[in-house]
Amino acid sequence: MRPEPATENTIGMNSASSKMSRARPLLRQFLIGFALITLLNIIIAIVITYLMHVGRSFLQNLVISMCIGWISDILIDGSRLILWGPKRPPLLPFIGLWIVGIPIAQKSGNALASKIIGVPTERIDAVRSENAVAFIVLTILVCFFISFLFWSRMKLQKLMAEAEAEKSRAAAIERQAMQAQLQLLQAQIEPHMLFNTLANLQGMIAMDPSRAQHMLDQLILYLRATLSSSRADVTTLAHEFSLLEAYLGLMSVRMGARLSYSLQLPDALRQRQVPPMLLQPLIENALKHGLESKIDGGHIEVVARMAGDALTLTVTDTGLGLDPLVPAPKAPGSGVGLANVRERLQALYGERATFSLIPNTPAGVIAQLTIPS
Amino acid sequence: MNASNLRALVAEDEPILAYALVQALNRLWPDLQIGAVVDNGVAAVQEALAQRPDILFFDIKMPGKTGLEAAHELAEEWPEDSPFPLIVFVTAYDQYALEAFEQAAVDYVLKPVNDARLLKTVERLQARLGQDKERGDELERVLGQLRTLMPAPPAATERLSMIRAAVGNQIRLIPVNEVLYFEATDKYVNVVTAESESLIRTSLKELTPQLDPNQFWQIHRGTLVNVSCIHAATRDESGKLSVKLRNRPESLPVSRVFAHLFRQM
Repeated sequence: MRPEPATENTIGMNSASSKMSRARPLLRQFLIGFALITLLNIIIAIVITYLMHVGRSFLQNLVISMCIGWISDILIDGSRLILWGPKRPPLLPFIGLWIVGIPIAQKSGNALASKIIGVPTERIDAVRSENAVAFIVLTILVCFFISFLFWSRMKLQKLMAEAEAEKSRAAAIERQAMQAQLQLLQAQIEPHMLFNTLANLQGMIAMDPSRAQHMLDQLILYLRATLSSSRADVTTLAHEFSLLEAYLGLMSVRMGARLSYSLQLPDALRQRQVPPMLLQPLIENALKHGLESKIDGGHIEVVARMAGDALTLTVTDTGLGLDPLVPAPKAPGSGVGLANVRERLQALYGERATFSLIPNTPAGVIAQLTIPS
Repeated sequence: MNASNLRALVAEDEPILAYALVQALNRLWPDLQIGAVVDNGVAAVQEALAQRPDILFFDIKMPGKTGLEAAHELAEEWPEDSPFPLIVFVTAYDQYALEAFEQAAVDYVLKPVNDARLLKTVERLQARLGQDKERGDELERVLGQLRTLMPAPPAATERLSMIRAAVGNQIRLIPVNEVLYFEATDKYVNVVTAESESLIRTSLKELTPQLDPNQFWQIHRGTLVNVSCIHAATRDESGKLSVKLRNRPESLPVSRVFAHLFRQM
């Protein structure tokens, strides 16, 4: 009973805080704009008083400038933020807003200023019409300046948002890669395999020290290859096959006469580049679900060859096969390795790569990968 | 204790490990005869029943049958007239098994096997074999442990309400409530109702979690019976338990492992 109100609470808090976090940057934007306009108003008053020598005094000009400037800012920028929020406003309605906003601001700004400084609005208008050309030029300059400020700020915001998105995308990709690498490591150095191999080594040291030495060499080769290739992006087929050879070598010591294997890698394909650890899960799968639980054991054959333009890698076993009674993806521990192979092929090559599992005759499974050049 | 009569059987699929274990046992317990070394679960059951050794060293992960399955089968099939062997499980790394064994206190040895640890097991075995009166209880003890080791009824994924069985080229739908019992055959499960028998291509292991454990009881390695269809459980002169059904003439054997289900209240 209890968790539900708690959940509602959190949701409520979330939406409230998200409203706040949306309102806060809007207010900030508005205040920055207001400060800029105030600065601009002062400059305009200085220009009118000391460059154009218009009006009675700087103070009066400043009041008029402030009234018109602030009202236009509140009208235009306020409407913009209310109508379109922090997003870039559509151009035509925005220009419309200016065309409507500027005369209103001019009229009401004049009225407000005349109240404050005690000069009738007609006087202000008269002074302005005496210097019509200068005022038109000034207005146009001010409009250009504000537009420039506004657009450059929008542009900057957009660039910053893009940079942020790019950064989080890169972080996500990196995280995925790390996860895949961890999974690979965990899949390869499975404790059961390691301890059984060590137990075999222990037994063999007393029985046949030179064979034990050889087995230890293979374990070292296997561990080193596993660790280094799960870090690399690409490897060569020759390297992959040496890893498979070490792995199958260890397994055949363990399984004795129950496991035989052969590897076929044409010389022409030795330096061919492939993603690491694509074949390893297939062999592990063949052993785990095909041969290890079969009383008589069987044979594994790994073949690399070119079929037209595509590289074909085949792992064939004579194990228990795709038994419909025990569907492979449901059996414990399987599925992960094969799903991983499938996902990686899809990510690297899309539809151009294929992966298939078909029954072998008379028994076992044929797993086949094709990789485009 | 007449030590020279004690015999052991080793079941281990990896030849070097089997050899090393036999060597270590010879070293630590020279009087123990290793009667046979087998490399799979099926042979382990056959040889154990044929030779009736005193001690079994069973690997957990073996082809054919796991060590646990083999022990289960032996507990069901073991003849009354000889004492049940002491079982030691040998395992490399198996979190589930370790936890289960520690709870059930079956002795187990971890691979790689270390002489000091194996010596402890040997001493424990010797102590237990020395006490003749305890040997008669061994089967009861193992049965109790096997019951605790049996996978608990798994979390109900989805309960089946209909069984789809292929009969010729049609699919027959059988309501689960009408099933009297399921019987495992080699690769199929025989679904028996009052009127019909049909085969489905699945294993009892896969079927069990999909059935209501209160409706279907396992009474044997290969039999799940609908409780509401049981008429009575009877014990014959040799002490073997079986159940009679309401709507079928046949009676189904109940194995020792599940005999506790039919104790009177």
